[in-house]
Amino acid sequence: MSGFLELKKVKRTGLWPAVFGGGILAALVPIINTAVRKEVFLQMEGSALAILMNENWQMMAMLNLLFVAASACLLYHTEYGDNAIQRMNTLPQRESKMFFDKFFLLSAFCLIMFTIEGAGLAFSAVHCFPGDGKILRDAAINMGYAFVLILPGVLFMLLISAACKNMWISLGIGVICVFTATMLPGDNFALSLFPFALPFHIIPGAKVLAEKYMIALGGEMVLGILAAITFFKVRRLFA
Amino acid sequence: MNMIETKNLKKTYGDFTAVEGINLHIKKGSVYGFLGPNGAGKSTTMKMFLGLTKPTEGTFVIDGKKYPKNRMEILKEVGSFIEAPAFYGNLTGEENLDIVRKILGLPKYSVEEALDLVGLTQYKGRLARKYSLGMKQRLGLASALIGKPPILILDEPTNGLDPVGIHEIRTLIRSLPKKFNCTVLVSSHLLSEIELMAEDIGILNHGHLLFEGTLEELKNAARLKGFPTENLEDMFLAMIEEDNERGDSRR
Repeated sequence: MSGFLELKKVKRTGLWPAVFGGGILAALVPIINTAVRKEVFLQMEGSALAILMNENWQMMAMLNLLFVAASACLLYHTEYGDNAIQRMNTLPQRESKMFFDKFFLLSAFCLIMFTIEGAGLAFSAVHCFPGDGKILRDAAINMGYAFVLILPGVLFMLLISAACKNMWISLGIGVICVFTATMLPGDNFALSLFPFALPFHIIPGAKVLAEKYMIALGGEMVLGILAAITFFKVRRLFA
Repeated sequence: MNMIETKNLKKTYGDFTAVEGINLHIKKGSVYGFLGPNGAGKSTTMKMFLGLTKPTEGTFVIDGKKYPKNRMEILKEVGSFIEAPAFYGNLTGEENLDIVRKILGLPKYSVEEALDLVGLTQYKGRLARKYSLGMKQRLGLASALIGKPPILILDEPTNGLDPVGIHEIRTLIRSLPKKFNCTVLVSSHLLSEIELMAEDIGILNHGHLLFEGTLEELKNAARLKGFPTENLEDMFLAMIEEDNERGDSRR
């Protein structure tokens, strides 16, 4: 019920066009890349989705993360912009509840984007690699994995936005985190767990590694949730 | 019976004391006028009641409920308007009130009712960021009044309104205890407004409660001290001046 309240709050903010626009833009990356480099892809080894993910996911993940950073800032800018958050804090609801409702909303937006991107990948795969019968299944698994990996980034970006009244500060921090993630070495497991670096990973061939990432992700989510709850409690104490 | 009662309520920011050990007694079903110059501590006191800022020392009870233990129960009963209108600029007036309505679990007609009370029905479909200052003020009041809460905390509710608007809101506030069985704590620096609205008055200066009582008791206290008693403004200014002089000599 209160999740729908957060949905009402984003009316006329441009967030919905950003979801579909961002999703379509990211989906166009594999489509255009495949159209231009079809012969190169056909000579590569591996399944259709594995080739397409290897060649396109870095750019798509960057777009996804920039969307997350901008959207999280916007979600909290609607609260701080005209001081609506003061009214919300005088109502019988916890600020942490509002935070988690925004988290679920932004996660839902990411899911919509990943669905569009998955459709783009599947479209490219069907046209470039006809005869591969597992395209839709692989696309769904890859997008599901990618969706789960972006959740810590969503959580921490929302926390940064909640902490910064000035949207430009939170946006700046978000952009810095995204570009820092692109510079981290991909072969270092510990560094690859940075919340903004996780979404750049594609589903690994080794099951053990995938399981490691899932466990680490679970730990990051728990840490993030505890950090959020603690932050709102401490902020109230020192208000 | 007191709806709001404070015991040595204090708020300090570092070495600055915004509110110094005040003991307020706001009777149930009355309009209590909170008077004081700018920076006296009125808004800070009201913010403490709403949990927007934590008291440094002291306690308060609202409708028998103690803060912070019963903070959520207190907020369910209190409608508030603090400092400046707070709203979602990207939503219409009606949509803004609908958000509050849903959080409070009120029926759908509460929105129309609140808009009607403050005279905003005609502009309910306009975006809040396109409202004039007076309309924003009315929206903030509607947000406080929605659902007719038993306690209203209003911080300078007539700011930015034209004389007709001031008269409307003043008449509305005066009628609330009888109409809706409501207790109102209203702050203002417009002494004439408080005189016309409030039954009891509290005068705050530099965080100290200089006086609390009825207008009649204020007149008697002023007469005993040799202050002018023709109108509230003269009494108020004389009390503030005396307190300022006392404060300067203390320093």
